Amino acid sequence: MEQLVKRINGMIHLKAYNRQRDDLFFITVEKSQLELVLSHLKNNEGFTHLAFLQAVDFLEDSKFQLTYMLYNYDIRVNLGVKVLIARDKAEMTSIHKLWAHAWQYQRELHELFGINFPGSPRVEESFVLEGWEEMPPMRRDFDTKEYSERTFYQRPGRSTNDPKEYMKEKMYKNYAASPRIRRDDE
Amino acid sequence: MKLKDVLSPLRVWERAAKKPMTIKDPINDRPGAVNYRGFHKNDFSKCIGCGSCEEICQNDAIDLVPVEGQETVEGDSGLRPMIDYGRCCWCALCVDVCPTGALTMSNEYTWIADNPEDYRFVPGADKTAWQDSEKGYTRSPDIQILDYERVDMQELEPEERDKSFIEIVKGYNKEQAMKEAERCLECGLCIATCPAHMDIPGYIAAIRDDDIDNALRILYETNPMPEICGRICTHKCETVCALHNNGDPLAIRWLKRYIVDQVPADKYSEILGTDHLEDEVLNRKVAIIGAGPAGLSAAYYLAIMGYKTKVYEALPDPGGMVRYGIPEYRLPYDQIDKDIDYIRSLGVEIQFNTRVGTDITLEELHGSYDAVFAGTGLHLGRSTRVPGADNKRVYFATDLLREVTLGNEIDVAENIVVIGGGNVAMDITRTLARLQNLKYGKVQVLATCLEAEDIMPADVEEVVEAREENAVIDPGWGPKEIEIRDGKVYGLHVVKCLSVFDENGRFSPKFDEDQKKFFKADMVVESIGQGMDLSYLSEGIKSDLKFSPRGRIEVDDSFQSSLQWLFVGGDIIQGPDVIHGIANGYIAAKGIDTYLNKK
Amino acid sequence: MSNLSESKYRGYEADRSKYPRMENGKPVIDLESHMYTKLWQGPQHPGVTGNMAVELIVNGDEIVDAKTHMGYLHRAFEKLMERRRYIQCFPLVCRICVPEPDTNEYCVSAAMEDLAGIQVPERALWLRTLNLEMSRIGSYLMWLGGQAGSLGMGAIGQWTIGMRDFWLDLFEEMTGGRVYHMYMIPGGVRKTLPEGFRDRARELIVTTRKLLYDVENTFLSNAIIKSRLQGLGVISPEMVDEYGIVGPNARASGMEHDIRINNPYVKYGELDVKMLTSTVGDAYARAELRYRDLHQSLDLVTEILNRIPQDGPIQADMPNLLNWKIPAGQTYVKAESTRGEHGFYMVSDGSDKPRRVFARGASYTHAISVLEELAVNISISDLAGLMVSLHTCPPEIER
Repeated sequence: MEQLVKRINGMIHLKAYNRQRDDLFFITVEKSQLELVLSHLKNNEGFTHLAFLQAVDFLEDSKFQLTYMLYNYDIRVNLGVKVLIARDKAEMTSIHKLWAHAWQYQRELHELFGINFPGSPRVEESFVLEGWEEMPPMRRDFDTKEYSERTFYQRPGRSTNDPKEYMKEKMYKNYAASPRIRRDDE
Repeated sequence: MKLKDVLSPLRVWERAAKKPMTIKDPINDRPGAVNYRGFHKNDFSKCIGCGSCEEICQNDAIDLVPVEGQETVEGDSGLRPMIDYGRCCWCALCVDVCPTGALTMSNEYTWIADNPEDYRFVPGADKTAWQDSEKGYTRSPDIQILDYERVDMQELEPEERDKSFIEIVKGYNKEQAMKEAERCLECGLCIATCPAHMDIPGYIAAIRDDDIDNALRILYETNPMPEICGRICTHKCETVCALHNNGDPLAIRWLKRYIVDQVPADKYSEILGTDHLEDEVLNRKVAIIGAGPAGLSAAYYLAIMGYKTKVYEALPDPGGMVRYGIPEYRLPYDQIDKDIDYIRSLGVEIQFNTRVGTDITLEELHGSYDAVFAGTGLHLGRSTRVPGADNKRVYFATDLLREVTLGNEIDVAENIVVIGGGNVAMDITRTLARLQNLKYGKVQVLATCLEAEDIMPADVEEVVEAREENAVIDPGWGPKEIEIRDGKVYGLHVVKCLSVFDENGRFSPKFDEDQKKFFKADMVVESIGQGMDLSYLSEGIKSDLKFSPRGRIEVDDSFQSSLQWLFVGGDIIQGPDVIHGIANGYIAAKGIDTYLNKK
Repeated sequence: MSNLSESKYRGYEADRSKYPRMENGKPVIDLESHMYTKLWQGPQHPGVTGNMAVELIVNGDEIVDAKTHMGYLHRAFEKLMERRRYIQCFPLVCRICVPEPDTNEYCVSAAMEDLAGIQVPERALWLRTLNLEMSRIGSYLMWLGGQAGSLGMGAIGQWTIGMRDFWLDLFEEMTGGRVYHMYMIPGGVRKTLPEGFRDRARELIVTTRKLLYDVENTFLSNAIIKSRLQGLGVISPEMVDEYGIVGPNARASGMEHDIRINNPYVKYGELDVKMLTSTVGDAYARAELRYRDLHQSLDLVTEILNRIPQDGPIQADMPNLLNWKIPAGQTYVKAESTRGEHGFYMVSDGSDKPRRVFARGASYTHAISVLEELAVNISISDLAGLMVSLHTCPPEIER
């Protein structure tokens, strides 16, 4: 595996590399070099199986991380190729020409994360959310609770109690609240 | 096409002649498995209403509701889980998380009701057919969702500690504290039990988040003596900790100590926002009698509310019983000073060596201050009054402990008996053991008390540690006579104590006079409780004050006595312990504020 | 069906030579021409476990174009998990696949354990293996009934679903639940085996084998079934990688890959799992391969029952799971389900809730990319058989 990393590093600039398990490694590459790396891994290094392509939203860094999970049947190792892309106007090169099922993931990411893959077949088609009008729901800033409260209604008559507050009410209601620091201007 | 492939499918007809494998009447013939996750049951005798079930339910199916007949008492919120079967997914995490094992499931799986509201029910309260079913899913003892094992506290080994007064408990380091803090359920049952109602889950959460500054702020909301409490608090909170039902309670006291140990004294005012506190904001003055926990707590909260406070203390150093009653190995003096110095830094003045009643009268204080708070504590020893107790080699524990703190030499005998089984008795026993060790190189001290081992009032660890230090603890005996030979103490005669309290819980010891024992000793220490010294009250004031039938000064909810300007709190009202004193001082400070605002 | 028997190997691009016109690689269908009819199969269709629709364009009874529609079962599990503590994810994941929930349970627990660096005790690993293998049997039995039923043999469906219920009885004893077992809690498993479980399991294995003997005679060795399944939905070896085909679907086309053997997890490394493959690649080969795998699972369960340790802890020493924070990191954990590579990709940001969980359903590509290609040119009546032979599970596709 180390040799493979060396070989790739000779080709392109590798931003990060880590070993999670004996059969699972991750590398991080530049966005522009992804296609090159993937086709090299597929055609020359035996990483022929694309297990999945998925995104992770790092909202605080304004980045999406795309993970292309590859597998090599001979050395029996999974290799995750990570790419960080900008979150606003998120766009990525399509790899539908490398794997015949990649378009499916790209269509999903387009719908659930709002990442565009120009040229990917049927990328605009809806995948699971026909008629969805909100923001792409897998983005971190989509608030599922707020959405469901807006869309559905609660079963009437439900209420709960916090043991802490309830016991205060029942047992030491008159216990004074902590004094505030009083200053000169009051 | 092979002939075999045409013929072999015809064997399907064979099965027409076979007996079916299926069950004819599954509802009746086939109950759920013993382990089935069916409908919920709740054993109210175990349930404490901590709400862990509600907390873990990912479906939001559980509400905590009051239930008729369930009182809210210490350690039980009186709330019970109500489950919405429209949301429940029967994952049984609520069963696995339940620290008491009260919530379980039956193996019943059919339920037909006309009214959809029936499917929202309180197991255990609403009558169900399966409440008493013995089968069904229960928490396996082999797994745990909660962590029931306390992080061990590092202590000095007995050999290292029994010759010195170095602090025994080493305190948690960061890693240990974080690990211990992680165990908290945040149910909040402890808050009601804490006399000062400290936000315990709040500061523990702050430890988890490694936000010590915030933790310190939470501590000072209701307790200005966290270094002291973090070491010697009676930690009643831990007795009601939900985890205590199935394992070790959370080490709340040690976690509090961890917080304050992390913060250097000079950072306090900055963190707590008192760095530019103006005193005399209100131009009102309050006098405080006694620089013990109650008095200083009142002084602290009065100070941050802008009052000018002055504390009158009879002894040369502040702290009261905390300093003069608790040995240094449990509570080092520099830690007391850390708490008190911070209070003094807020402008609280302490006048030492001034005994109210003799050096200055209460009337004088009343004349020059707007209000007075008295937290004078219990400093007088109480005697067993058995024959021989008036010998000069029979001492009170409080007096001896005070002498040790003052640095005065004590005439330690080679063979000592201590009467008493509380924490003070353990304190004097262990102190004497150390002094014997220093003087004679060996320990020969024995403590005996009325209560049997299992109901001894002292903390278990105190008893264990005393034994580790070679003191003998022999509980379950009532003192009969201190034998005096030639004017010198010869030993203590005891008889077996059968029970201490009567069926109404009143103190009424019963003895078996036939079972006797004799403890040889040339010095006896009595530690069976303390009394108050109210000599500072002049006759005039005494006649104006209302007393309870048992001789205590009567106070209202804000610790205001029948003399409106006089507030009284601490051990002479409630306790005796530090945390009650602190809580009394806190409430009295608020009460004084209210009183003076009205005036 | 006529042209299929000749084309044993078709490559991975559907033969669209019969279309009137192609534009940009896509057929242009003019519904007004009365040559074509649009026909919806599903979303409720016994051919698949769950709901999924195939939009067909047919010419007579021949399919000229197919398009899969998902979304009938989307419950946003991945999103829900981002809002839940780690332990609270545990009751959610089993619902990702109804016939075989345990693979999900295993993967999500294993992913958390991998990120948190927790070693699962030996006995728990064996119990997990047993659970996974038993669920494989349950899933295959359900599939077997579906495959036969989709070709009109309803009786076999009743036999195998009935038999599956007896396996669910065992699950009920072992885990407390029949369909959703919720057994593999982070750090281990929830319960030990109940008294007498081994004997009842061994008995059931014997009964199951008897039933399978009947199934073999009536279903696999059946001239009609053979003529309908042989040559149907041929997956060529070249297609396997291009389309990310996994599991029995790939093995039936000659791909020697089984995660239980190649990347052994739980206790599979110590068990004798055989690589079952075929080179034909059609629906019949897949059916036969699954049938053999089912027998292998029965063997494995027998072996596991003999080897499960009788005592020892069943859960690692865990912190308070209500406050459980997992160090930041990323991992991908996979397991061989009856449909192939089933994996969980989990990203932790160091908080008490996962940053991202992605469930890689084994049939993700089978039901969409692959089915859309294989359905072209077959008869409507064969579509159901084809769908089942790919063994798709819609809920794991849309999660």
